[in-house]
Amino acid sequence: MALDLQMLDSVAKEYEHKDPADIIRLAIKEYSPNLAISFSGAEDVVLVDIACKIGGKFRVFSLDTGRLHPETYEFLDRVRDHYKIPVEVFFPEPTAVEELVRAKGLYSFRRDGHKECCGIRKVEPLTRALKPLDAWVTGQRKDQSPGTRAEVPVVQNDPTFGSPDSPLVKFNPLANWTSKQVWDYIRQNGAPYNSLHDRGFVSIGCEPCTRPVGPGEHERAGRWWWEEATQKECGLHAGNLREAS
Amino acid sequence: MHVTMVKKRLRDGSDCRKCAQAADQLAARGLLDQIDEVVWAVEGDANSPGMLLGTRLGIENAPFFVVRDDAGGEEVYTSVMRLIKERLGNDVSARDEARSIDPDDIGGI
Repeated sequence: MALDLQMLDSVAKEYEHKDPADIIRLAIKEYSPNLAISFSGAEDVVLVDIACKIGGKFRVFSLDTGRLHPETYEFLDRVRDHYKIPVEVFFPEPTAVEELVRAKGLYSFRRDGHKECCGIRKVEPLTRALKPLDAWVTGQRKDQSPGTRAEVPVVQNDPTFGSPDSPLVKFNPLANWTSKQVWDYIRQNGAPYNSLHDRGFVSIGCEPCTRPVGPGEHERAGRWWWEEATQKECGLHAGNLREAS
Repeated sequence: MHVTMVKKRLRDGSDCRKCAQAADQLAARGLLDQIDEVVWAVEGDANSPGMLLGTRLGIENAPFFVVRDDAGGEEVYTSVMRLIKERLGNDVSARDEARSIDPDDIGGI
């Protein structure tokens, strides 16, 4: 089975205020086994925990950029052991990484922006991971960033990796949860978590591009912080307007 | 087919950085003349046409593209490389396409 793509907006509205478990249950029901959870090695472990409790056939994948924290690598294995599931790890194309590093060094993202490095280390492997799928599940939440995630729907026709010939449905079951709800869930359910969270890291990505955030800062402020001006510069969200006016 | 490019104009009158990069990528491939219309999202003006279009379509960042086909269908592209590949008939390497996508816009990775 699969959801009617023309009806996704109405499904998103119907599920907007439902529990993440209901949304994941819908995803599994409609798309198993061609469904995967994208697990970043952070608090999106909640998705894995919920899905494992629901059961059914789904995949869990993660992207090893080669620049992750040691704590994240250990966490990936802990999740594999805890839930007794395979975590499929996708790696970047070695030739592309070699060419980038040879031409620009290991920290080109600080000078040229993160998209080139992320394109090689994250997006291309993600494209491969998504290729055989009909749907994927992410841990995106509206409260992660008022600038870029304020409109995240609980389900959508993936505008980036789907195409008319090969549509891909993206579920964001945690879209309406707050960080507190996520952490309440982790604690109440005894789910494993990345030890970096105990050291003030909120959003966790590659080691050079992730930092702890301060009180009151949005969690995405801990990622690519040196490019914040660019994000504001190109943003269309009302938050940008308020800041600018 | 009608292609609209939505660009953001900053207070100083310049294009935002990503818009300038996208225009450069189109120009480098000789495709700028295939953009039929440019709609501006003006910094600080929530009622500017580009801002309103972004709100209607749920798009968070400039630039983006709206392609209307002859049958009246509408498709939105947030990646210039994907527009080039799928609608403007140019080859784009997988690497170029990947580099044009911001993982912060994707989420979940």
